[in-house]
Amino acid sequence: MEKTNSDLSRRRLLFGGAAVGAGALLTACTSNEAAPTTAQTKDTGDAQGNAAPGQKVVIGFSAPAADHGWIAAITNNAKAQAQAYSDVEFKSVEAGADAAAQRAALSTLIGQKPTVIVLLPHDGKELNSFGLEAMAAGIPVVNLDRAFPDARAYRTQIKGDNYGMGVAAADYIITQMKVKGVTAPVIGEIAGMDELELTQERSKGFSDTLAAAGFKVANRRAARFTVDSGQQEAAQLLQALPKMDALWNHDDDQGVGVLAAINQAGRSEFIMVGGAGSKQAIETIQADNTVLKATVTYSPSMASSAISLARLIGQNKGMSDLVELQVPKDIVLASETITKGNASAYAKLGF
Amino acid sequence: MSEPDVVLRLTDLVKTFPGVRALDGVQLEVRAGEVHCLLGQNGAGKSTLIKVLSGVHRPDAGTVEWLGQPAAFANPQAAMKAGIATIYQELDLVDDLSVAENVFLGHEPRRLGFIRRGAMADRTRRILGSLGHEEIPARRMVHALQAAGKQVVSMARALSQEAKLLIMDEPSAVLAHDEVENLFRIIRSLTAQGIAVIYISHRLEEIREIGDRVTVLKDGRTTAANLSAKDTPTSELVSRMTGRTIEYVFPPRPQEPPRGEELLRVDGLSRAGEFRDVSLTVAAGEIVGIAGLVGSGRSELLETVYGARRADTGTVTLGGRKLRPGNVGSAVRAGMGMAPEERKSQALLLGEPIYRNMTLATFSGLARLGFTDAGRERAETDRIAASLDLRPRDVRRPVGTLSGGNQQKVVVGRWLLGDTRLLLLDEPTRGVDVGARAELYRVIRRLASEGVGVLLVSSEVPEVLGLSDRVLVMREGRVVRQAPSHELDEDTVLDLVMAGSLMEGTPA
Amino acid sequence: MTLSEGTGLAVPGAATEPPGGAAQKRSWAGESSESVVRNLVLVGVLVALIVIGAVTQPELYSDSTWVWNNMVSILQLASVVGVVTVGMTFVIIGGGIDLSVGAIVALAGVWCTTLATQSYGTIGMIFTAIVVGVSVGLINGVLISYGRLVPFIATLAMLVSARGLAAAISGKQTQISSNAFINSLASDRVLGVPLLVYILAVVAVAGWVLLNRTTFGRRTVAVGGNAEAARLAGIDVKRHTMLLYGLSGLCCGIAAIMLTSQATSAQAAMGNLYELDAIAAAIIGGTLLSGGRGTIVGSILGVLIFATITNLFAINGLSTEAQNMVKGGIIVAAVLVQQFRFKSVTQFIARNRATTTS
Repeated sequence: MEKTNSDLSRRRLLFGGAAVGAGALLTACTSNEAAPTTAQTKDTGDAQGNAAPGQKVVIGFSAPAADHGWIAAITNNAKAQAQAYSDVEFKSVEAGADAAAQRAALSTLIGQKPTVIVLLPHDGKELNSFGLEAMAAGIPVVNLDRAFPDARAYRTQIKGDNYGMGVAAADYIITQMKVKGVTAPVIGEIAGMDELELTQERSKGFSDTLAAAGFKVANRRAARFTVDSGQQEAAQLLQALPKMDALWNHDDDQGVGVLAAINQAGRSEFIMVGGAGSKQAIETIQADNTVLKATVTYSPSMASSAISLARLIGQNKGMSDLVELQVPKDIVLASETITKGNASAYAKLGF
Repeated sequence: MSEPDVVLRLTDLVKTFPGVRALDGVQLEVRAGEVHCLLGQNGAGKSTLIKVLSGVHRPDAGTVEWLGQPAAFANPQAAMKAGIATIYQELDLVDDLSVAENVFLGHEPRRLGFIRRGAMADRTRRILGSLGHEEIPARRMVHALQAAGKQVVSMARALSQEAKLLIMDEPSAVLAHDEVENLFRIIRSLTAQGIAVIYISHRLEEIREIGDRVTVLKDGRTTAANLSAKDTPTSELVSRMTGRTIEYVFPPRPQEPPRGEELLRVDGLSRAGEFRDVSLTVAAGEIVGIAGLVGSGRSELLETVYGARRADTGTVTLGGRKLRPGNVGSAVRAGMGMAPEERKSQALLLGEPIYRNMTLATFSGLARLGFTDAGRERAETDRIAASLDLRPRDVRRPVGTLSGGNQQKVVVGRWLLGDTRLLLLDEPTRGVDVGARAELYRVIRRLASEGVGVLLVSSEVPEVLGLSDRVLVMREGRVVRQAPSHELDEDTVLDLVMAGSLMEGTPA
Repeated sequence: MTLSEGTGLAVPGAATEPPGGAAQKRSWAGESSESVVRNLVLVGVLVALIVIGAVTQPELYSDSTWVWNNMVSILQLASVVGVVTVGMTFVIIGGGIDLSVGAIVALAGVWCTTLATQSYGTIGMIFTAIVVGVSVGLINGVLISYGRLVPFIATLAMLVSARGLAAAISGKQTQISSNAFINSLASDRVLGVPLLVYILAVVAVAGWVLLNRTTFGRRTVAVGGNAEAARLAGIDVKRHTMLLYGLSGLCCGIAAIMLTSQATSAQAAMGNLYELDAIAAAIIGGTLLSGGRGTIVGSILGVLIFATITNLFAINGLSTEAQNMVKGGIIVAAVLVQQFRFKSVTQFIARNRATTTS
């Protein structure tokens, strides 16, 4: 008994030591130091015109908790752009998991008396009333990407063009098919989260444009903006379409998984177009060693622009290149097509 | 007796299940206000008969005449509505509802869809009062009650529906001696109101005391009907049941009281509210019985010795080694085994085969390098099953398909497989028929003769006296007397057990 | 009954050895026939699904290479969830539930793909994923066994916090795996079958052996079937319960490596709703949610059925919404069937009781 006891305690000691060692190793393993994500900011070094420091502006910012790269880039960009201005104080609140949580977070933000609020709502419709309240209280609201239905609920909105993304992706595919002389191409589509309106808009732009050229989508699967769902849906789509000519994937984040599935299936007979414009995707396009030949942008750089606009609004200035004395009400970013040819120009905008 | 007295008459009742004729021509006649006893061995068809009467099963042939009309109960609710209430051996109460809610379960007094809780509690109190148990709080959760209390609640439920016939399946099995007296008192007051009772029991002395007439079943047939419960000779009853005469015997004690070396020593064991300062010893080869009422702390004591409960103070030493308090594993490794009070909820995996239940404490030992050896387990189980005369003997049958007595054999057999040195038995013969009882007694005595110590708890004083070498009498959490069993008789023990005040008894 | 005077025991004292050979030759038949029948039904469902695929897409199914590839793709789709389901099956049979599996997969996946971990190479990554999975599982186990938390609550809390930690570690970014060996698990094939499928096969076989042939498996059934009986038979129920969650964590760690390999990357959002997929598959496979009964074969068949449905909807170009609704319907149908069968079994037992006791 005694012997087993001491054996046991020695074993415990050894095990404990191993556990502590493993723990230390694992803790060290959480480091991601080598890969700083460079934010997309506007250079403010040129201290002339609008960039010159002016009246102090407090910008309140809220975006949904990031569970994926694009939203994370939005928050990073906004923060980085704000830091680039010496006259901007940046107050950010995490918006939690849903519209209700975001509303609660925003009310604490109001308490901090921001000059301007930049807001990426969970859902534009659900947070419309907040926009109205803030505007009525004299705090201009810059809506980022997800529009409020009521025009009085925001001072300015800046957003991407979801429908335009689909159009751009389809245009690229149509051109390529014509170049290759394919008259009845088999086209696949991997969408993002199907329950979101933006996904529906993207798909509509895509199919509308294809239809105008006499093409149609042969099969469409909806992933969930995550790499693993991208891989799974792509694997099934590839099974469903043993021969394909073109594929549009809505989101470059899930595109990592889509490319993995294509690689695992050993397929290469088609061209693929991405969406959003991640750094990874742009680099892959530049390298030109996969089926990914282009991506249509939906750039989180709009967050940087939103901060710049908010600062101008707060300082009561207009955009210096325009004649108008005030910032415009609506800015819709065009969805641009990044190919091998122009990839180097976009490299710094990749997220 | 004139005809109109008869409330229930069964004629040539037949019920078959695939491969079995469970009832094969049953005749039964029950009169208003009588206690009609149903006798029969395991497998004679008593359970099936109850289920037919209570609407669980429907007969294949024969007639059921209820209050003079042919009747067929589609389901238990229909039978209940007609006035037939059944109190099963395994009480079917909802543990997490209050006493009143259980009593009125399914027929709650309502107004506009809302339960009238106050009225319900009032009526429950009145019914409990009529049963002589006004001390049971109507709003107490049922799980807080002892078995006897639960049985009273079950009866209250039957009364709440104005039953004309009460079927009681071994009601005394869960009761201590004084509680049985109380039960009989209740039954007498029911029959005085004209309610008929079908009383099923294995205990002849109970049938003599409470019964009016007896019907005997054997192999699904009525072998004797309407015998007088008081005067029919035991030998006749038994021969009707078995076709043989039996004696209700305990195996003979060894001439010399076994004085093996001390095996178990319990020193000053206490648990708040359950028992205080209990010390006892069990020698190798000795059977020590604990007599006491339900609530005297005897089961709790047994579980604490076993480590299933953690003692507040005191120590348990087995074979010279002190056991870790509150640790069953330590007790089992030291060579202790226990057959707990509630077989189904505490001892068995009902859906698993017999052999896996039998090897539940030993399969690790029979395994090689962590791999179980089912073949060896079955062989070992077969061996034990043969020595216990387990029926049926196919050890791959789910244990849930066995009768109560055979399930108990599986639980005891579990500890025959290992090197058990001390066996703790809590109510080993509850719900076990006479024949199987005798077998269990012999098994226990045989184990003792092989040097195993046995610590036994039973509500049945004759069982404790007949089986044990030495007896401890417990009352209200204390051991009030310790003596060799031949120095005690039933009356002495009952006096001790039921003595009024706590300080009256002097520990021997 | 042998009730004649003085002979309570048919065979006294030193019992004769039973005719062991004869008894043993009948082997396992009977004791598991119920689950065999159930599994055959599941195989039938699986075959029916494939037949539906062949009928609706005769063109695709006329190409034998495609058919083979399609089988492989179904197996690969099932592989990650399959491994998680093996662990889940143990937990459920043991009377618990683990809602945190998806989160553990994400955490282990993210942790093993940080740049720091990747710098330790393949071994470092695998070690990290396994240790993280097992550790988190054991934390669940300790909270449930010794902290007396309800499994539902403990693992629900872990679901939230493990994903939170994963998001914190990854900085909410997708972490690309640049480890060639890890990535090759999904892309390389041996005898035309991806390595991931072999991993599933190994885990499933190991799980089957563990459940049916070891003391660990026997304890699992005992603890889940009747915890009090197991405790009174001397089994350390708490310790075993803790280990079950550790085992589930181990499966999640393995699954994390597989999923990372499949997606060539990891992120905090991956393994989304795997807990539901795994629980649903186990239930379809006949695992009793209240514990004490279940089979590995059934669970794997459940996973395959789900994967085949996904595949069926994909090759027919049907929407994901319809697919999810069908899956939900199948879960309900499976539970209904289970209840029906379970009821008939209990009735059977009741009947037998009626004939053996009175």
